Amino acid sequence: MSYVRGLKCRECGREYPIEPIYVCEFCFGPLEVVYDYDRIKADLTIDKIRSRPTNLWRYRELLPIDGDPYVGLHAGFTPLIKADRLAKEIGVDELYIKDDTVTHPTLSFKDRVVSVALSKAKEFGFDTVACASTGNLAHSVSAQGAAGGFRRFVFIPASLEHSKIVASLAYEPNVVAVEGNYDEVNRLCSEIANKYKWAFVNINIRPFYAEGSKTQGYEIIEQLGWKAPDHVVVPCASGSLLTKIWKSFEEMHKIGILKELHTKVFAAQATGCNPIATAIKSATDVIKPVKPDTIAKSLAIGNPADGFYAKQVVYNTGGWGEDVSDQEIIDAMKLLARTEGVFAETAGGVTLASAIKLVKTGKIKREGTTVICVTGNGLKTKEALEGHVAEPFRIKPKMAFFEEILAKIGN
Amino acid sequence: MKRRVKLMFPQVLIKEPVIFTMAKKFDIMPNIRRARITDTVGEMVLELEGEAANLDEAVKSLSEQGIDVEPVEGDVLE
Ligand SMILES: Cc1ncc(COP(=O)(O)O)c(C=O)c1O
Ligand SMILES: [Zn+2]
Repeated sequence: MSYVRGLKCRECGREYPIEPIYVCEFCFGPLEVVYDYDRIKADLTIDKIRSRPTNLWRYRELLPIDGDPYVGLHAGFTPLIKADRLAKEIGVDELYIKDDTVTHPTLSFKDRVVSVALSKAKEFGFDTVACASTGNLAHSVSAQGAAGGFRRFVFIPASLEHSKIVASLAYEPNVVAVEGNYDEVNRLCSEIANKYKWAFVNINIRPFYAEGSKTQGYEIIEQLGWKAPDHVVVPCASGSLLTKIWKSFEEMHKIGILKELHTKVFAAQATGCNPIATAIKSATDVIKPVKPDTIAKSLAIGNPADGFYAKQVVYNTGGWGEDVSDQEIIDAMKLLARTEGVFAETAGGVTLASAIKLVKTGKIKREGTTVICVTGNGLKTKEALEGHVAEPFRIKPKMAFFEEILAKIGN
Repeated sequence: MKRRVKLMFPQVLIKEPVIFTMAKKFDIMPNIRRARITDTVGEMVLELEGEAANLDEAVKSLSEQGIDVEPVEGDVLE
């Protein structure tokens, strides 16, 4: 009862059957899942979505699996927080935070893509799952792969934050720390994926995997009362999440759930790894690869596979791109925590700091609704704040000492 | 042996017969699959076929001319 029509090359349009493949044999363009939207339009209604459990599978007609989901039964449906205090700080009228810091089970939006990838891997009959990761993906594949009973291989750059490595190791997958940057990890994994018959979620399962990101967009629309925001700010590593959030909005429009769609899509990057923001600002069609150097390690992809498509979405929707320094990232992480009680990882700092710049430069207008996609939990990158947060007041257990401090703090 | 690569040309090289020269010099058969070429942009996705050692030399020579060479398989999403 799948609504999937097949795979289609994004460059030349050739169609392929549903298989674990990811590039077009003719032009080497990336493959994308296409659906039968007429049937979905006839079958999927707001009432039907509402009647289902609050997880990402409530939009299953728009996801590329045939049978029932196999993992991720509690993933998705994270809060959309109306952020009035933060709105005031940054100077917009109506601001929302899509809070994927609390995604089940590993506290980043990667749980969405992995839920779909592993459910599809099971359908394809794979017993081993693998990924190349900047950290969050490794974490989710380790956890959800364990829950699904898969053999697991995760490949990460050896320089990753220690806490992220431990987070993956807890689930006892095979963790391979590669001495090189993410793009080098990738190349190695592509070779491995060619040789071993594993489900590499972001290589041969990638067309299906990437579709999972759309669920963040569907939820935003549902939580805004079946409306699309005026602005959405999305952090970019490979650029996939941004293109998929836009795809999700377009699909909701296509199937008639959204009556209007005029959202502007904005890309957020760290200055230490800004190939997409640079292409947007300089209006070139070529994404020039960079060597990443930023504390936002989960976004440190120097040669972003979907960069060109992300840039196109930004241009076609009238959005823009911004990039921010490490200090701006840290300041934004603290601002988000202080004003809204949300502790995000560095990627969240990138998104908020970029949004602040976009508002300052007038690219995002004060009027209208703005949604900021905060995609990972701060506990995952605690190291980033070391030396940037205050020390606790340290006292002997006596009232007098406490009141001494209280006097210093004042009101 | 075949290798899939994506080349990014600096502006000064867009009008030069870089591929032809490489093919002759290193005895390689290029098969262009996709290209995006304007006055300011040169991006080409192609398959190169030849001896492994020649392919390595050819890629090295392209890089030395200032062309960015990325394996197509390197195009992975995180
Ligand atoms: C926390 C977080 N946010 C955003 C992204 C960006 O994802 P994409 O590669 O789809 O652009 C990543 C990717 O690793 C991530 O880990
Ligand atoms: Zn194609």
